[in-house]
Amino acid sequence: MLIVDKEGILIRYNVKMEKSMTPEEAAAELYPKDELYMPIAEAIFEGEEDDVIEGLEAAIEAGRDPIALIDDALMVGMKVVTDLYDQGVIFLPNVMMSADAMLEGIEFCKGQSDEAPVQKGKVICMVAEGDVHDIGKSIVAALLRANGYEVIDLGRDVPSAEALAAVKEHEPIMMTGTALMTTTMYAFKEVNDLLVESGITMPFACGGGAVNQDFVSTYSLGVYGEEAADAPKMAEAILAGADVAALREKFHNH
Amino acid sequence: MAINRFTTMAYSEADEMVFGNAKKPVKAGLDLEIGAGYTTAEVNYAPRPEAGESMEKLISEYQRITKDIMARMVQVGFPSVVLETEHVQQMTNNPSWGAAVAHAQKTIMEEYHEEYGIKCALRHTPGDIREHKEFMELRGGKMDVVMESFEQIAESGADLLSIESMGGKEIFDYAVLRNDVPGMLYAIGCLGTMDMDYLWQEISSVAQKKGVVSAGDTDCAQANTAMFIAGGLLDKNLAHTLAILARAISAPRSLAAYEAGAVGPGKDCGYENIIVKAISGMPMAFEGKTSTCAHSDVMGNLIMQCCDLWSNESVEYHGEFGGTTVQCWSESLNYDCALMNTALKSGNEKILRDLLMASDRFRDPQAYVLAYDNAYAVGEAIVKDGEDIFLRAKNAAVACCDTLNNSEGLEMTKFELGALEKATKELDAITSESETFLSECMDRFKKEVPVFKPENYAL
Repeated sequence: MLIVDKEGILIRYNVKMEKSMTPEEAAAELYPKDELYMPIAEAIFEGEEDDVIEGLEAAIEAGRDPIALIDDALMVGMKVVTDLYDQGVIFLPNVMMSADAMLEGIEFCKGQSDEAPVQKGKVICMVAEGDVHDIGKSIVAALLRANGYEVIDLGRDVPSAEALAAVKEHEPIMMTGTALMTTTMYAFKEVNDLLVESGITMPFACGGGAVNQDFVSTYSLGVYGEEAADAPKMAEAILAGADVAALREKFHNH
Repeated sequence: MAINRFTTMAYSEADEMVFGNAKKPVKAGLDLEIGAGYTTAEVNYAPRPEAGESMEKLISEYQRITKDIMARMVQVGFPSVVLETEHVQQMTNNPSWGAAVAHAQKTIMEEYHEEYGIKCALRHTPGDIREHKEFMELRGGKMDVVMESFEQIAESGADLLSIESMGGKEIFDYAVLRNDVPGMLYAIGCLGTMDMDYLWQEISSVAQKKGVVSAGDTDCAQANTAMFIAGGLLDKNLAHTLAILARAISAPRSLAAYEAGAVGPGKDCGYENIIVKAISGMPMAFEGKTSTCAHSDVMGNLIMQCCDLWSNESVEYHGEFGGTTVQCWSESLNYDCALMNTALKSGNEKILRDLLMASDRFRDPQAYVLAYDNAYAVGEAIVKDGEDIFLRAKNAAVACCDTLNNSEGLEMTKFELGALEKATKELDAITSESETFLSECMDRFKKEVPVFKPENYAL
């Protein structure tokens, strides 16, 4: 059998470029200093749901407001996770597990108060009609929630009329659409046309599988998202005032 | 059809495996024989989105595609070709649509075969539509529609029957995003195999009744999902050591089709097919460097090492400078095949196989494990406990970890090594008792995954 030294044939750039700091060390530098918030943030980073609740109980017992804890501890802990993900220090499964722990923490806090938390904005997530492949949508939804957005998850194989009705009901800042197949992504155009007919100008961020920038550019509300991680960045840009044209300028890289 | 588990390897040693030759070649279509001493290109395509609006538009689109491919084949002088039509959902949900497309395609292929003598076959791959909006419904009315689709396409001209089935995916999607190795083992190795047993006995019965070939499945829904999430070297979505773990576990799952009556050629996107070929001796389709139109991978040369059919995975039909996409990609595939066939004819096939393998062997943990020598070792671990679907899947996972833990010349990141270490420990901690594992997973996932319906697996 032929074995050839890889020198000059390939370079594992991920090995070459690897950061020397471990994820735990990087996270430790970002945790809040408050001694009640720090263990909650650390538990979020570790994805340990029980420890999150334990930390929240301790903070509430010490007199902290449950609803304020969502922003001051849970979201701060989650930001450590999303920042490190954006920097390439940690991987997606870490974000998913942390998001699970954060959501459990939020539910716990809500159960401890009569007040409702204020969220950054609503985003609707859907999979194109006729398409049942929804792992991309699940990742997008988790990353949006991890960044503090309320997600209305319409699930998979969503009829265009249902998407329109949901937009009218919830008035989101953005809707995301994912599809795996070339034939199902055609439904995005239909959704777009229904939205436009209703006078809606909200950005419709689309991506996944066979979806590409050229196709998404053919309908007026379409913004192409190459990666799931683009979704919270788009939401952030919308909150800062970006419209469809500005989003295309920023996210259409091809 | 009965289930006959593999408990021995088809090849006595890894070095015996080469491209274009399988222990059990398959005759199909119009004078084609797959794995009988030569390789053949398998061209795959997707209609333009607007073609899905009606049956007439779809038929017309597939006629254009078929004519384009066959014309290019004879223009450049290629001796054989396979066409694969992966159904858009309309074609499976309306079995008569799929049948009409198969008939239209086969009519054109027959004309070319008659006029030029080009050897060819048509594979049709219905979509796995066995689900509703919220839940999978693997058994029941949707299964009837799938089987009706197989019946009708087999009657209308399809020579090779395939599907990319989805059993276990509801658990896998949950597990892979949480680095959950036992969950991946349960999803692919156990639930996936159970569904394959059920589905492929039915497909093989149809194939036998209609006189066509029960060709095989791929774990696209799970192992390829892991591979795509893992992405390139700099992507941060899944450790590549976990992606190859999912792939190793998918081998016994995809093997189940051939234990339920399928005879190959296995489906192109089953990168696990190298392990399946080592065990079954049946011809397999692969895709790699000439499927970059559909997706990137990190083993484009290596995966060609032992192919019998060489595929482009899929390309949307439209124009390019060099012709339509299907013309361009079918030509590229066939030049690859011409090179392999030249190597076979001149006795240089093992040299070319090894060059392909060596050029990617150290590119990624996925490539390293799928190098034919290491893949063969994973196969041996599977057949050791071939009768126990859980144990053989666990063996595949352990063998994958062992291969990486003992690798020579492969560089891995700290993250990849960390994920590997964690997976190795988790596998060590898993029981070797099938019933215990299945029962624990059933309890756990019924609680954690609301869309998991055990009745889909007759559990």
